[in-house]
Amino acid sequence: MDNPVTRDRWHFEDLELGRAFTLGPQRVTAEAIKTYAGEFDPLPFHLDEAAAKASILGGLAASGFHTAALSLRMLVEAMLSHCAAMGGLGFEKLSWRRPLMAGDSLGGVATIIGLRRSASNPHMGIVNVHLEMRNQNGQEVMAMTLSNIVEIRHPHPLVLGPAQ
Amino acid sequence: MTRFWEDIDTGVTYPLGEHAFTAEEIVRFGIAYDPQYFHTDPEAAKFSHFGSLVASGWHTIAMGHRKMVDALHAEAERLKSLGAEPGLSGPSPGINWMQFKHPVRAGDTLSYSMVVASKRPSHSLPGWGILFNHIQATNQNGTLVYRGEVVGFVKMRHTPLGARLVMALARVPGLGSLARRKR
Repeated sequence: MDNPVTRDRWHFEDLELGRAFTLGPQRVTAEAIKTYAGEFDPLPFHLDEAAAKASILGGLAASGFHTAALSLRMLVEAMLSHCAAMGGLGFEKLSWRRPLMAGDSLGGVATIIGLRRSASNPHMGIVNVHLEMRNQNGQEVMAMTLSNIVEIRHPHPLVLGPAQ
Repeated sequence: MTRFWEDIDTGVTYPLGEHAFTAEEIVRFGIAYDPQYFHTDPEAAKFSHFGSLVASGWHTIAMGHRKMVDALHAEAERLKSLGAEPGLSGPSPGINWMQFKHPVRAGDTLSYSMVVASKRPSHSLPGWGILFNHIQATNQNGTLVYRGEVVGFVKMRHTPLGARLVMALARVPGLGSLARRKR
């Protein structure tokens, strides 16, 4: 199963527990916030400065899903695009701790906190990556733990246990 | 849905509508937020184990969120048309878990639905309740594409006396931080 796109990229065996990747930082404009919200989260405090000022958030704030999508893009640039990645299984413990406001910068760290081989597919390794995202003042904006599949370069031969 | 906390039924499935994913929008989302080759390049994607272009999981759940926002808005309008007062949703504190179960390819149509699995009063935000919403999508063949538990805040119709006191205290400078604790 040779894949010319990912042949020379990091495989599961190249990844180490505890390895960390710097994400961003990137400034988020009001325009970008409104563009994302217009398509995926059309609520007044993501779309309209005046309505946002009067809302509980006190100003134009990015959709939480937008903050996550921007973080994901940074993770792809810093890590996943260098890996023989085979897609995501999902994520857990996503917490939005404070809103990302127009003009804020978003940055953070992604750390590999889990590495295991798939029980069902010998070509697949499962990588758990924890993201901590902060604004320009160092305040926590969002955290989550993703599970992604990275191809194994040398699958273990199938070992059969003793017959019962 | 957009109702007061007291009026929200748990265990009832609400359809949120459908969305057909085109190659153009899959690539557009991929380039903007998840630029992995199987989300951005239909030719290169043929080499992947997916065998074709697939949508980013984050694209499919973002669309599910959009569907929920639209459904909440429609429910609010429906209640207003009946002369009733719609409830108020607050910002979401997070997503407890999300599982991407099956790839979404260009031309697939997803059907979204949600159920309030459980609810409880918020410990940190007086006068508000917390909803544990289970959202899922199936494709045109009935195959589960994703499911997840999204947490939401919703306002209570009747704020308990204790909660009203805490809210009043929160407006006093210096005491506000005491009242505004984490969830």
